[in-house]
Amino acid sequence: MMDTNLQKDDLTGTIKFIPPLYKQRYQFIKDLVNKYKPKKVADLGCADCTLLWMLKFCKCIEVLAGLDIRENVMKEKMHRLSPLPADYLQPSERSLTVTLHHGSVAHKDPCMLGFDLVTCIELIEHLEAAELEKFPEVVFGFMAPAMVVISTPNSEFNPLLPGVTLFRHSDHKFEWDQAQFQSWAVAAATRYDYTVEFTGLGTPPPGTEDVGFCTQIGVFVRKYPKNGETVNSEKHTEHAYKTVFKAVYPSLKDEKYLQNAVVSEVLFGADIIKRRLLGNFKSECKEHSDGLEQKLKFQPFKYFMTCSKNLSLAETEKLAADRSMEPFIDGNTVYIPLAKIFSIPKVNQLCGTFEKLSNLIAGKVALSNDGSAVIVTIEYENEEQEN
Amino acid sequence: MYQVGRNFYSPSDPVEIPQHKLTLWPGFAVSITQFENRVMLSADVSHKVLRSETVLEFMTSLYTRIDNACFIQTCEKELVGLIVLTRYNNKTYRIDDIDWCVKPTDTFPKRDGTEISYVDYYKQQYDIVLTDLNQPMLVSRLKSKQNSTVEPRVVHLIPELCYLTGLTSQAISDFRLMKDLAQEMHLNPEQRQQRLSQLADNIQRIKEARLELEMWGLQLGCQVSLTGRVVPTEKILMREQTCLPMSAGDWSKDMRNMKIIGVQPLDNWLMLCSNRNGELAENLLNCLKRVGGPMGFHIEYPRIVQVQESPMAFLRAVQQHVNPEVQLVMCVLSSNQKDCYDSIKKFLSLDRPVPSQCVLARTLNKQGMMMSVATKIAMQIICKLGGELWAVDIPLKSLMVIGIDVNKDALNKGSSVVGFVASTNSKITRWVSRCILQNTGTDIADCLKVCMKGAISKWHKYNCELPARIIVYRDGVADGQLKMVVDYEVPQLLSVLTELTTNYSPKVSVIVVRKKCIPRFFAEANRSLQNPPVGTIVDTEATRPEWYDFYLISQLARQGTVNPTYYNVVYDNSGLKPDHMQRLTYKMCHLYYNWPGLIRVPAPCQYAHKLTFLVGQSIHREPSLELADKLFYL
Repeated sequence: MMDTNLQKDDLTGTIKFIPPLYKQRYQFIKDLVNKYKPKKVADLGCADCTLLWMLKFCKCIEVLAGLDIRENVMKEKMHRLSPLPADYLQPSERSLTVTLHHGSVAHKDPCMLGFDLVTCIELIEHLEAAELEKFPEVVFGFMAPAMVVISTPNSEFNPLLPGVTLFRHSDHKFEWDQAQFQSWAVAAATRYDYTVEFTGLGTPPPGTEDVGFCTQIGVFVRKYPKNGETVNSEKHTEHAYKTVFKAVYPSLKDEKYLQNAVVSEVLFGADIIKRRLLGNFKSECKEHSDGLEQKLKFQPFKYFMTCSKNLSLAETEKLAADRSMEPFIDGNTVYIPLAKIFSIPKVNQLCGTFEKLSNLIAGKVALSNDGSAVIVTIEYENEEQEN
Repeated sequence: MYQVGRNFYSPSDPVEIPQHKLTLWPGFAVSITQFENRVMLSADVSHKVLRSETVLEFMTSLYTRIDNACFIQTCEKELVGLIVLTRYNNKTYRIDDIDWCVKPTDTFPKRDGTEISYVDYYKQQYDIVLTDLNQPMLVSRLKSKQNSTVEPRVVHLIPELCYLTGLTSQAISDFRLMKDLAQEMHLNPEQRQQRLSQLADNIQRIKEARLELEMWGLQLGCQVSLTGRVVPTEKILMREQTCLPMSAGDWSKDMRNMKIIGVQPLDNWLMLCSNRNGELAENLLNCLKRVGGPMGFHIEYPRIVQVQESPMAFLRAVQQHVNPEVQLVMCVLSSNQKDCYDSIKKFLSLDRPVPSQCVLARTLNKQGMMMSVATKIAMQIICKLGGELWAVDIPLKSLMVIGIDVNKDALNKGSSVVGFVASTNSKITRWVSRCILQNTGTDIADCLKVCMKGAISKWHKYNCELPARIIVYRDGVADGQLKMVVDYEVPQLLSVLTELTTNYSPKVSVIVVRKKCIPRFFAEANRSLQNPPVGTIVDTEATRPEWYDFYLISQLARQGTVNPTYYNVVYDNSGLKPDHMQRLTYKMCHLYYNWPGLIRVPAPCQYAHKLTFLVGQSIHREPSLELADKLFYL
C-alpha cells in the first residue's frame, strides 16, 4: 500500500526526497523488472494501480495482476489499465493481460500461482497481526514466486522525520526497525527456501548514516526452481478473490489481429503501387491543371521505399529490377505479383515468410486466378457531387 | 465494448479502410428514456472513425507527394490546428506549431531539474524506441486551468507517437475516401436491423448484462412496433400548371417545360471568364437561353469580359465593371481556388451588393451534362434575382414562417454566425434573410430580437398588415441548450411582438428542429424491412409523454437507412391541431429552391444554413442589407 505523498511531505518537513520516495520505490521495481525480465508480475496491495500502470509498459511482462482489500480504491483508477485506442490501431507483438482482484493476502487463491515476481510495497505495516501471521505462508509457501520484493518503513529513521510521534501513517499497525524486519525476513526465507538481500531507499543526511534508509527493502529469491504441478494447487482450487477487472490487450500473436494488420498493409501498399503505375503520384498537381482527365500512362516501374527498415534502398531496387516482380496492367486491372507485395518492408516484417503471407491473405485479398498476384481494379473518376 | 463519450464500440471487430489509413469501430449510440408509454432503450448503429496514421507517417507521405520547396509550409498548413492522440496515454492535444529545430535527441528538463533526452525519456517511461531521430517536434500550448494570467505550459510531442484524429479538410474533399467511408457506414434497413437485434440478443444472452438489468428490476423486451401516418403527396404549383410528382420527393423531371412562377427578366448582367474559357462561356450562354425560354425566364445577352487567369484579375475586373444597375455577375472560374471565390463573394456581398454566380470550368466541361447544368444554374440565378420558382398550397392566411440556424465561423474560432430567414408573402415563396455574427458563448436571443423586428417590418411593407400567425423553426440547438431556448429565447422573441404595437397578439409557435436523432424507423413490407415512404409521421410510442413532439421523414434515401427529423414544439398558442402542424411542416420541406425535391428540414432552416455557411466560410462579415430580399447565397 502506498503512504499518501501529502502526509509524507507534512512529516518530512526539512527532509525532502527528490524524486519523492514513493516514486523511487516504483522505479526500483521497474529497474528490477528491466534487469530480470519477469513474465508474470503481481502487485499485492496495488491500491490506485499506479505501479501496475507503470509496469504495463514493460514489454517483457505478459501477465500483470493486482490484489487489494479495498475494492473502491481500485475501481476508481482501474480504467488506466485498459488498452488505449492506439493499442487497437497498431497492436504490438507482445501479449498482455491485466487482472485486478479484490481479496486479502491472508487468503490463498490459485490465480496467484506461477508468478515470476510479487511485489509488496509498503504493505505489511498495514496488516493486522492475524493477517501478518498468515502472510509468509500464503506468499512464500503457497504463491511461491521466483522473486519477492517487500518494502516497509524503517522506524529508526523516524526521529529524523519531524511531526512523527508514533507511526508515519495512521493506518500503520507497526513500524519495524532494521533488526526486526531483517529477522522476520530471514526467518521466512529460511522456512520457505528463499535467499534474501537487504537494501533501501532514501539515504539519511550526512552525519546520521547509522539510522539506515528511510524505506527498507528485502529482495527474496527462491532457491530451487519449481518443476511440474505444485502440490498446493491441487489442494486449493477454491477461489477466495473476486475479479474486479480484466483486460486482454490486442496482440499480433493473436492471429486475428495479425491477419488484420497484414491485410491492411497489403491493401495499402497495393493501392500505392497502383497509383504510381497510373501516374497519379503527384495528386496536388491535379488542382492546378485544366481538370481534364489524366490519360492512362504506363510508366517504367520504380518502387520507392519510404521507410525501409529491413532492406536498403539498393537492395530493394535490385529486387525491383527482377522482372518477375514487375506489376503490370491488363485492361482495367492491375496485377501485383505476391513477391512484390512481400518485399514491402512492413509486410515483410509482419509475415516473416512468404508462406505466412499467402496463408494470411487467403480469402481476404483479391488474387489473380493462379493466385500469384494481388489484383486491384481501376476505377475511373466519377462525377463529383457539387454543393 | 469500449466506451467513448456516450457511445460504445467494439474495437476488436474493426472495419479497415486501408487505402486511407482509416479504421472504423462499429458500435452503438444508446440512451434509455421514458417515452409515451414505457421506458425504452434507444439504440442506433454508430461508427467511430479512427486514423491509424501517425503524424510522422502523414509527414512522410506528404513529403513524397509534393515539392520539397513548399514542404514545410504545406506541412504546417495541414497540421496546425489538428487534434492528435498520443499513443501512450489517452490524451489529446491541439497542434499549435511545429518546431523544426528540435530533434528527439535533444534534451529537456524534468520536474526535478535533471536533463533527459526525448529518446531516453520515452524508452524509460514507456519502453518505446523511436525509429526516426530526425523528426521535428509538434508544439502544443496547454490551456492553464487557472485564469489566463498564468503563462500557458508548452508541450513538445513526438510525431511518431501521435495519431491524427478526425478527418482533415483534404480527406473530406477526397470524394473517393468519403465514398469508401459511406459504403461502410451507411447501412440499409435490413443490415441496420440485423446489427441492432444482435445487440439486443447479446444483452439477453450475456449473463452479466442480464444480471445488471435485473438488479434494477428491468428486463429487455422485444423491439417496438408502432403505427405511423403517411401524409399525402403535395402538389407542386407552377405558374400555369399544377403537377403531382411521379415520385413523392422529387419533381425535377416533372417540372421540365413548365413555367416557373415569376422572375424579372435578366437584361443587364456581367459575365467574366478567363481567356482560355471563352468558348465554354459561350456554350453556357447558349444553353442558358435555351433552357430559359420554356421556364419563362427571359435572358438577354450579357456583357462579357475576358480576364487573365489570376484571382486578382477577376477581382479587379469585377470592381471595374460592376455598377449598381448590374443585376448579376457570373464568373467562370478555372479551378477550385477558395481565395478567388472568397474575394469575389466578399466584394459582391459587402462593398457592392450584387448577386453573383460562380461556375467552375470543370463543371461545364462534362460532356452531355450541359443542359442539366444550365437548368440548375438558371434556377439559381432566378432565386438570386428575387424570383419565385414553385409553391405548395398553404391553407393558412397571413402566415409568416421563420427559420433560424447557427454555425461557426471557419476563420474566427470564437465567432458564431446566426442566420435568420423569414417569409414575406402568404404564398411562402419570397424570403428576407439576415445574418449576424457574434461571440460564441453569448446567447443569441438579442440578435434574434433584432432580426425578428426586421422581418416583421418587411412583412408589413409587403402586405400592409402584420402577420396573424408566426411559426419559428429553430435549428442549430446543441444538446443541453434546449432549456435555454425555452426559458430565454422564446420569451425574448415574444417580447418583440408585444412591444411592437398595442393589440398585436399573433398566434405563435416555436419548434426546435433536430436533424440527428437516435431512433430510426423501418417499414415492414413482405417480410423484409424497408425505409418508410416520405411523409411518414410518428407521434406516438417513440415520443416523449410530456412534450409536444413528432418525427417526420422528409428525406428520400437512395442508399442506407433514412434519417427522420425530430420536431419539438416548445411553444404554441396557435390552436392548430397537431395533425395540421405536422402537415404544415411537411409542406415547408418542399420549398427549398436549390433542390427540386424534398429536403430534411423546413426550407427556411436550410436557407439559414446556406447563408451561415457562405458567411462562415467565405465572407466572415454581415452581408449588405441591400441583398436581404434575394436568396443571393444559394
